[in-house]
Amino acid sequence: MKILYLFALVVSFIVLLSGNAKLNPEASTDLERQLDDVARVGSVVVDGDVCQKIVTRRAKEFLFAKEFRDEFLAGDNYDVDDVAFNTVKKTLIRLSHLASFPADVNLWMPIEGHPGKIQLVIRNKNEMSQFWNWGELYGDMVPQMETVLKTGQRVTVTNKPGWISVLAPVYNSSGDVVGLIETVSQVKVDAHENVK
Amino acid sequence: MRRLQTRFVVLFLMVIYSQVSLAADLEALPEFLRSDPFGAIVAPDRSGADLASSLYDTQHRVILTGSRGGYVSFHLVVKLPLPGLYTLDVKISDPTNKVQIDLFREWFHFTDSDKHYYPDALIPVHSTYSSRLPEPDNRISQQTAQAFWVDVYIAPDAHPGTLSGSATLKAGTEIMTLPIQLTVMASVIPAEDAVTVDHNSYGSSWLAQQFAASYQRDPEHWFESNQFFGLIHAYHRIFFEHRGIFHQLGYGHSGKVGPEFAPVLDGSGKRKHITSWSLYDRHYGPLFDGTAFSACRRGRRPIPFVYLPINPEWPASYEFWGEAGYEAEFVNVVSEMERHFREKAWTHTNFEVFFNHKKRYKGFPWDGDEVRFPKDLKYFIEYGRLLKKALPAGTPVQFVFRADVSWDMEQQFGLLEGVVKLWCAGGGILSFYKDAPKMLRNRGDVVWYYGGPPSVMDSSSAITEFPLRAWLWGVNGYVHWLTVSPGEDPWFHFNGGQTALVYSGEGFGMTEPIPSIRLKIQRNCLQDLAVLDGLKGRMSLDSLRAGAARSYNNSALDDWWNPRPALADLPSDQWLGSAIDDATKHSRQRLGHPVASAWYNVHRYALTLQAEAK
Repeated sequence: MKILYLFALVVSFIVLLSGNAKLNPEASTDLERQLDDVARVGSVVVDGDVCQKIVTRRAKEFLFAKEFRDEFLAGDNYDVDDVAFNTVKKTLIRLSHLASFPADVNLWMPIEGHPGKIQLVIRNKNEMSQFWNWGELYGDMVPQMETVLKTGQRVTVTNKPGWISVLAPVYNSSGDVVGLIETVSQVKVDAHENVK
Repeated sequence: MRRLQTRFVVLFLMVIYSQVSLAADLEALPEFLRSDPFGAIVAPDRSGADLASSLYDTQHRVILTGSRGGYVSFHLVVKLPLPGLYTLDVKISDPTNKVQIDLFREWFHFTDSDKHYYPDALIPVHSTYSSRLPEPDNRISQQTAQAFWVDVYIAPDAHPGTLSGSATLKAGTEIMTLPIQLTVMASVIPAEDAVTVDHNSYGSSWLAQQFAASYQRDPEHWFESNQFFGLIHAYHRIFFEHRGIFHQLGYGHSGKVGPEFAPVLDGSGKRKHITSWSLYDRHYGPLFDGTAFSACRRGRRPIPFVYLPINPEWPASYEFWGEAGYEAEFVNVVSEMERHFREKAWTHTNFEVFFNHKKRYKGFPWDGDEVRFPKDLKYFIEYGRLLKKALPAGTPVQFVFRADVSWDMEQQFGLLEGVVKLWCAGGGILSFYKDAPKMLRNRGDVVWYYGGPPSVMDSSSAITEFPLRAWLWGVNGYVHWLTVSPGEDPWFHFNGGQTALVYSGEGFGMTEPIPSIRLKIQRNCLQDLAVLDGLKGRMSLDSLRAGAARSYNNSALDDWWNPRPALADLPSDQWLGSAIDDATKHSRQRLGHPVASAWYNVHRYALTLQAEAK
């Protein structure tokens, strides 16, 4: 009986250690590997044609609009096709379930006519992204994103301490890279961050 | 010889003058005149400078008059021409202890934008306070004046009559005393407010930033600690004691829910269920049963409103939106919540189903907050259906669907009738629809409007404009959209405080938030509104409102509304922000900015009517 008890104790201890490893910075390799797996699958299953239908023409027309009396002009005109959005978002959520830890899969799209700029189109429930500055409609494209869009290669980014993102291309039916997904997690998840 | 005599006289006068100007001084100022650290009235309040002597009678006594069940407030300003020590002692003798003095040292914030000092944060001190000028922690090298806020609390069961007191300043060998006479009126300020003033906030990570020392002692467990929950309750208390309410939204724009704002869920689809109420009940239990307020002067009372954590991603996963699994998750978990609240007898609070997300924040494809595009309303109707399905008929638990509306509000008032019961409307656009508040209230809906606190650089009376407008409009309340965020360095590089009405007390050795002058003035304004509203049995409400508006800024009731603009008949997705701005010009021009004495005049009006009623 005692041996059984000891065995159970040892097994529990090992399980506990392996569980903690997911939160340990030294075990980030496992995080990275899983995120890369998710990104690889995501590249195959995310439908680039549907992604291209999400942001409406009106939203695109106003995206860079400036009006000194109306600082929210672009945001107030931001709109999406909800059917396309929901279709892609559901896929992104399911992709995130492939990771054994809290992770998000976000969709980023380049902006036609504005090279060097990119916009986050879909975020998810852990509110994680290594690149999104809270509240912005669009931002500057980081070089790694440019690489993905140009080459179709997956790129791992660990610029922000404690964060791991894998960027992967999204293709449309013509075979063009029309966007990218960011599979992302943190070595230590902050339960209160971005609850705002 | 004559020339010598003249010189002597001049010299003598100079010596006398310098002795006079070097003397310590203690001055009482009405609540609407804020002093700067050099003894001058701050620029935005100088429009009310004629009130400076209004507290004094002919014998230079400070004369105060107040109803029971409320506060009378004023400033005391200690002036020392040279650096030195002083002691201030404020007292009003009341053997029954039904009249109490709360003394606060006023913090002088340096505002970077105009490079001036304004008092706002109020640090509680004992009624006998000793310190020096310049005040060491405020670090104003040339400081010659320290202002104090005095709250005189008169309990509802205090004896009417006259009480005597004094404010005494000791500085070196000098002692100066201001006699105080307080008249306690027989009238009692109604405990219930005519207008609900809400103080909004988002999440709780800001608590760890503002109470960093407490957080740093145990960062791993702080968000589950008694200190943490005690602090949240303290925020509710400080607003409650100032006749307000406090909201804390517990989820983000993509649906991330803070652990203390929701029960723990497990499972998926029809097996999704609640597994733990532990953190939720520690957070909300004392708020819903009122025990968090047991020690408050206003007495134990459950909070009247609270946000639920419900959002498109909680309790149902958005992965299943539009499918049977979404409905099962939503209905089952919300049903469990209703049952839990009912079993706990938490039936005095309105539990708000409220969607705060905007599509511009990329979490969801429809606007929950401030819907602009009518196509988004189908989501509201669907959630209305789900909510109805989740709740048993006749439940005593009060679930209420809330919508914060602006652009499309007129259409939503119609389309969402029976779905949305709590409307929080943008003030600018609501001002086009004079008939809306009455129409909504007549069908049993609650109507608030929203905006933000004025800056400390506005006049002292600016804070009173919002509750007054709510009362004049006939809506139920007003929401300050953010009230707990004073910026990175409110003490020495202040942004003006348009997102803060309270401050962290941690820098002053306290474990709770501290109030502001603006919050105190707002509370006193709410007292007066409760008094005025309470007189509606004797006078018509319209007449009371007209009198208050006239006293405030010589306005008529119609000046507070805007004519319905042509754009109101266009689809709201064709409106421009600048056009809305143009359409609200009428009321802005008619009303102007409130001068410092604006609320003083309304207060006098209320006192006069009270006296007449007696």
